[in-house]
Amino acid sequence: MNNEVRARREERGLSQAELAERVDVTRQTINSIERGRYDPSLALAFGLADFFDCRIEELFDPDGDDRT
Amino acid sequence: MTGERVESGSGTTRTPTVSSRRRYRRLLFGAVGVGVVANLALRALSYPVAAEAAYWVGIVAFLAVWQFSPVRLFDERDAELERRASTLTMVVAAVVLVLGASGARTLAALRVYEAPPFVSGVLYGYVGLFVVFAVAYGWLSRRR
Repeated sequence: MNNEVRARREERGLSQAELAERVDVTRQTINSIERGRYDPSLALAFGLADFFDCRIEELFDPDGDDRT
Repeated sequence: MTGERVESGSGTTRTPTVSSRRRYRRLLFGAVGVGVVANLALRALSYPVAAEAAYWVGIVAFLAVWQFSPVRLFDERDAELERRASTLTMVVAAVVLVLGASGARTLAALRVYEAPPFVSGVLYGYVGLFVVFAVAYGWLSRRR
């Protein structure tokens, strides 16, 4: 699943650790999401969308799967 | 926890929770590791009671950190990794059980090779593992 997490995080000048802190997960989880290696739960996806103040579908694209 | 930026010793930027989580996770697994190593060392030195005490101190420390740490030690990705690792472990156990049980019986029937008793013990152990898995799965499926 493609996502805009890295772009939006960098837009706000946050580190992965800082974003992880805000949404209560580990830095590794944010890293895995950004690299498309881990698809977050619905709760975390909503949490991220809420944090970035956008809709879930603006953050995640279920049609794009960049995992190899 | 405020998420305020702090400088770590290595020069990389970390937030307080991230560094705390790392510290508590090290403490969690370190407690068991130290307990087990101390147990083996003390047993080798012929102090069996002290060895058991060291082991249990490690276990109790593990449980204490796990239950009372002020930060969340594991998140949903950790749970997903655990789930995948458990599935992989069960697949490996199933392959060993299916091939091992059949192979041991066949070789014994042909009088080619008689497996030592510990092999049967391991295979029965795997059978027990699958029984526990089936019971746990059934119980969970009724709850969800």
